[in-house]
Amino acid sequence: MPDGSRVSELRLAAAPPRSEGLRLLRSRIADVVPGWQALAEDVLGADARIDLVGSEPNGGTVLVLVGEAGQDLELIGRGLAQHAWVTPRVADWLQLAPDLPLRAEAGVRVVLLCPAFRPEAVAALGAMQQPCPLLLGTLRFLRNAAGVEPLIEPLERVAAPTETQDVRRLVAIAPFRTGLTDDDLALSSEEHAEFE
Amino acid sequence: MPRDLGDVLHYFLPTSDRGAGRAEEAVEIGQRSEPLQRPAALPIVSLPIDERDVVRSAFAWNLTVEIARLGASACLVAPVAKRSSVIWPDEGCGPVGAEAVFPHVDGLGALSRAALDVAVARAADSSDGGIVVTCVPPSWLRAPHEGRALLRWTLLFATTEARDLLETYALAKQLLLSSEAMRVGITIHGARRVSEAANAFSHVAGVSAKHLGRTPVSYGLLVDDLHVYRAIVARRPIGLEHPQSRAARALRDVARLVLEDARRIARV
Repeated sequence: MPDGSRVSELRLAAAPPRSEGLRLLRSRIADVVPGWQALAEDVLGADARIDLVGSEPNGGTVLVLVGEAGQDLELIGRGLAQHAWVTPRVADWLQLAPDLPLRAEAGVRVVLLCPAFRPEAVAALGAMQQPCPLLLGTLRFLRNAAGVEPLIEPLERVAAPTETQDVRRLVAIAPFRTGLTDDDLALSSEEHAEFE
Repeated sequence: MPRDLGDVLHYFLPTSDRGAGRAEEAVEIGQRSEPLQRPAALPIVSLPIDERDVVRSAFAWNLTVEIARLGASACLVAPVAKRSSVIWPDEGCGPVGAEAVFPHVDGLGALSRAALDVAVARAADSSDGGIVVTCVPPSWLRAPHEGRALLRWTLLFATTEARDLLETYALAKQLLLSSEAMRVGITIHGARRVSEAANAFSHVAGVSAKHLGRTPVSYGLLVDDLHVYRAIVARRPIGLEHPQSRAARALRDVARLVLEDARRIARV
């Protein structure tokens, strides 16, 4: 719940225009993804826009998709599609912007926000293979004396990739940009020393 | 008649020995009844680039477009990867006539034949010369024999990072020691200053001279500025998207160096 407001002053408000809603959401995703850092807004993904892209402390990529009332089932499909589209591209993004606080090995999670999720949507989520990369949250807007604030209430928390999985993936990464390994280079220790 | 790249490459690829070898080739060509107007095939320059390296893949395509902007025929040949790069253009003719061809090949030999087919076909149509830029998966460089002629003129991209320079040296070594005819060029990117790029190239050249007795050739530097990344994401060549940017001007310089060598080769 937004800080500094008395309950009696709070009332439900209509969702603000989309751009304003996303601006308000940028800092509030941390309510459901601790350590969230917003990186980009309105990114073109798999044939549709991803509302927000951010990171979490382990370097994981977090996508946020916001749906309107009645779009909950569609939102789950869009979430899976964007997850499939973004996952193989995080490494590309890192080549383009090496300073991004992301690690391709840390995986991608998708936060789906909608005013309400029907039982079918929750059941669909439950039927997915675990660990599921989707996190559902209801999104409502509250008006208080200071203005409109988003309120996110998660329906389901999703476990982040384990450290063991991360290490296993890291070991498999080739150390050179060409994908070659030290063994492939076949250089002498003297030659190696020239570049230290 | 079956065509092998090795049969004809000596007509249009550079050799490290610009003395006797070139003279012999000139005599051969001079025996023709008419002056050679067009080479049998366009020169081919090979770029070892991993399919996951989007920046260098983008440089390869942007270099191809820039060569086309200079008025030459330019075609990019890259093997179709299981995981297609996000930056490749659609296959076929693209901006300013630059062309992209993505053959389904599974090794250096097949890629060589595909590149040669393109080089021969485009030579017939190009009055101002041209070049075929071929991206080669680095793991294919270790192929024992078949297709190695494709690598006789190879351009390596390198950043100024020590580990990257080590890798570039290793690739240059592998190529230079495989044949006297190999010509290896290096283009530095990712440098913040021209002096950084010059020092990086000089270091690789110095180590090569010391350990191999031969040195790679400098093909200038490319600038990794924000315009490059924006152009990559937008899948628009930097030379068209931001023609006055430092990145575009640097790319044009590299394209000019490559094209000048290609034309020199074609004239021989």
